[in-house]
Amino acid sequence: MTKRVVTINVNGTEHSVQVNPLDRLIDVLRDELGAKSVKEGCGTGDCGICAILVDGKLVNSCLMLAAQCDGRRVLTLEGLLGDPTMKRVQESFVVNNAAQCGFCTPAMLMASWDLARHSANPTTDEIKVAISGILCRCTGYYQIIDSVHQACGESKR
Amino acid sequence: MSSLELFSPTNLDDALKFIQHEDKDVAIIASGTDLIPRIRKRQVSPSVLVDISSFQNDLRYIRNSGGVVSLGALTTLTDVLESPLVRDRLSALHEAAELFGAPQVRNVATVGGNVCSAASSEDLIPVFMALGAQLKLVSAKGERTVPLEGFFKGKRATKMKPSEILAEVSFELPKGRSWTGFEKLGRRNMLILSLVSMALSLSMKEDLQTVSAARIAMNRVSERIPALAVKTQEFLLGRKVSSETIAQAQKVLASEIALTSDFRASGPYRTEVAQVYLKRLLLRCSGRIRGSA
Repeated sequence: MTKRVVTINVNGTEHSVQVNPLDRLIDVLRDELGAKSVKEGCGTGDCGICAILVDGKLVNSCLMLAAQCDGRRVLTLEGLLGDPTMKRVQESFVVNNAAQCGFCTPAMLMASWDLARHSANPTTDEIKVAISGILCRCTGYYQIIDSVHQACGESKR
Repeated sequence: MSSLELFSPTNLDDALKFIQHEDKDVAIIASGTDLIPRIRKRQVSPSVLVDISSFQNDLRYIRNSGGVVSLGALTTLTDVLESPLVRDRLSALHEAAELFGAPQVRNVATVGGNVCSAASSEDLIPVFMALGAQLKLVSAKGERTVPLEGFFKGKRATKMKPSEILAEVSFELPKGRSWTGFEKLGRRNMLILSLVSMALSLSMKEDLQTVSAARIAMNRVSERIPALAVKTQEFLLGRKVSSETIAQAQKVLASEIALTSDFRASGPYRTEVAQVYLKRLLLRCSGRIRGSA
């Protein structure tokens, strides 16, 4: 296997990392760059808890080769800790008991944030579609839907 | 797997030159949503991956030129879902895109990847087949166009040569008094592998009652190969869409398809569902044709 160097912008900082052809984005984010909010569940794209944003689009980082991410912009939960919309989403999750075991929470927050920044007052159906790719093992979906409603409602004010 | 290399050409010509002699064990990778897990599970073990994901300018588009729709192989499912042309005129494709994977998968998964993966659960294959799609395959020697019908040799096997890359899927835009629809069954609404999927393209005569053309495409029609339900299509031709016709067509369908049993669902159950889908699609498409006429 021939290693190559790729430059990936993660949360606003450029990182040049050596990767093997089969290293996935999730591997590089967690093991090389310390972004531990990115969780691996199934590794096959069925559970979505590794969801992050690449070039502004929600994607599963377990289904992407790091070698294909040269020059791309990656956003993980770590990069949104000071963001006011994310703060509102997080606080809403706390108030509504939307985090149970917590394993899917980073991905749920990313998907909710992605919806909240695009949509001022989403319908329940829109929220369901936005989080539909993320499996909550505790099946606490309704608390999550309530949280997104509340967070987006507040953003209207 | 340990010897796997990734080749990232910057243009299509370089990619085609690289694979022209068919002397390497090559797999083409676009976004890799299907291929990456399969390599990791050692279901496939190519020695070289040729990365075509950077050819966005050449292979990512949805065009309508003179009533012929063409989709570049790197068009994502999100592109398909957000296309006004697809939403307004290609209902089956829009419905399939809505039910495809989940947002994170749709954002990267490509039209070309779905066709070339050739798995029995790929949702776009029956849709394109019902639309009578043609595939543009390019190689260093030139290009050729082949019908999607007959493109599949078996599970995960197509008639594409190792020196070829799928560049485009194209088909005629359904004209007046036509409508298309798609149905699929899984165990939940999202992130599902279809157990049964069906696409229908229906055209009616001027009386808006009589079928003038019908194409019914399903996965697993024969063994695991996607194909058209030819006998059911022939049965419908020239008949009025009535509850009697539908009941008879359901019987014809059940007799002609050979849906497989596996750990996900039994063949008889799949057949039952397919009959229900045929009824639903016939009612929906004929209703839309009457309503929009």
